[in-house]
Amino acid sequence: MFGFLGPNGSGKSTTIRLLLGFLHPTAGQGRVLGLDTVRESVQIRRRLGYLPSGIALYDTLTGEQLLEYLGALSGRPASRRVELCRRLELSARTLRRPVRDYSRGMRQKLGIVQALQHDPELAILDEPTEGLDPLMQRAFYDILDTLKAEGRTIFFSSHVLSEVERVCDRVAIVREGRLVALEETAGVLARRKRSIMMRFSGPPPRLEKVSGITNVEHGNGCLTCRVEGSVGPFLAAIADAAVVDLTIEPARLEDAFLEFYDEAEAT
Amino acid sequence: MNGALLRHTWRVQRTKLAVVSIGLTVWGFLLPVVYARFGSQFTALMESELLPEQFARFGGGDVFSLSGSIALGFIHPIAIILTSVFAVGFSASAVAGERQRGTLEVALARPVSRRALYLSLLTASFGFIAVTIAALLAGSISGASFAGVVEELVFRNLPLLWLNGVLLFGAFAAIALAASVSFDRLPPALGVTLGIVVAMYVLEVLGSLWPAAEGLQPYSLFHYLKAKAILTGRAAPLDMVVLSSVILMAMVWALVVFPRRDLAAPS
Repeated sequence: MFGFLGPNGSGKSTTIRLLLGFLHPTAGQGRVLGLDTVRESVQIRRRLGYLPSGIALYDTLTGEQLLEYLGALSGRPASRRVELCRRLELSARTLRRPVRDYSRGMRQKLGIVQALQHDPELAILDEPTEGLDPLMQRAFYDILDTLKAEGRTIFFSSHVLSEVERVCDRVAIVREGRLVALEETAGVLARRKRSIMMRFSGPPPRLEKVSGITNVEHGNGCLTCRVEGSVGPFLAAIADAAVVDLTIEPARLEDAFLEFYDEAEAT
Repeated sequence: MNGALLRHTWRVQRTKLAVVSIGLTVWGFLLPVVYARFGSQFTALMESELLPEQFARFGGGDVFSLSGSIALGFIHPIAIILTSVFAVGFSASAVAGERQRGTLEVALARPVSRRALYLSLLTASFGFIAVTIAALLAGSISGASFAGVVEELVFRNLPLLWLNGVLLFGAFAAIALAASVSFDRLPPALGVTLGIVVAMYVLEVLGSLWPAAEGLQPYSLFHYLKAKAILTGRAAPLDMVVLSSVILMAMVWALVVFPRRDLAAPS
């Protein structure tokens, strides 16, 4: 599971369109599944599923007709359709209705099914949980877990960093059209600076020279600081302090992402 | 060419195709009846010199003979508007309309090359035109039978007239589809094609009614529809060659331009 992160206008969708052969690179080249994105675009698309952001569907068709048509265009049997429709609660009755009558969430569910119904080796999903309610988001994450367990690759582009953190093993961060970070999600989280708040009685512990500790401030029996990497040195430094209360904020990808952008802008 | 896309296109357009075909059959039926009922009166009117001589050869058709009335049925604005539903409307919107709605990228995310997509749509368009021209001819034959003048018809000439009609409106369809693959939105594709069709129609009609403008007629594709000449056994192969050449040029344009275009995200 590969998370592709970046703010609006950073080049996420452009990158995806390059990978799909919708755009031609002005310089350089791209490869997907070992195939060239320009010369072997059709072969690439034979092996992938794609969910565009804010997917547009053929409104005059029923859900069933739409899935049949897109399945036929894929040229592979829709072996996962029944399972996906069941897990996303798209009933046979719902699928017999015209797509124009579908709500935004229903359209998104149909979009997910059309992208995954032919069991692609690689699924490129652009903002896949847009419009899904929390229950359906959970069902969708379960589907991704199943695909992951079966060895499928998911390219997951999203603004919602909490869900990228939830599902992705690796993340890439793109900024102004350039890939500026590519690493394991756990590594990003381990490197992020977490806020610590501690209440104590007696003299404050001396943390200024402890490895990984910055922004130390104290007063009125309260100390705040930030810690980067392992909390081991911090815990060792406060071992003798009379700690009344201690809060270590959990590592979140969102903060790591924002920190990364702040740093990038500062440089 | 892609069979799934071709079948889908036919299925989506079948109701419209039936309505247009019925309209053209009715229209084709009327003109031989008008000729049989009022032809001699129109001839007397023309011989009285109350009407200018050019009135008798509007666009190569007239109501003084069965072949002339059938030719008038082909060149009359009603037949052109009805046939243009597919030759211009469908063809111009086939790619640009889907681009505008955002559905093109859902289809192109499948293993379908742009050339295959274009050729499938062109084939569908020619199929629709073939059916509608056949409907017009079937109406004309029925009208001639109903009016008791069918013995004036030389049936062996009808396939050539059908081919001539298909090539004329096929040329407009090829131009419309070439415009469609060149624009991201429907209005410019439709506008360019309609502009060409209207300008050519004006040139043809102007040239047929005003001797001084006769030199403009070869610049109009309508000039190469020779319904009356074909029905009277005076077909000129050059007309078919000119129409085929236009189709070929439009195809070359589309097959070169479309695969090389960048398809940015729909706005």
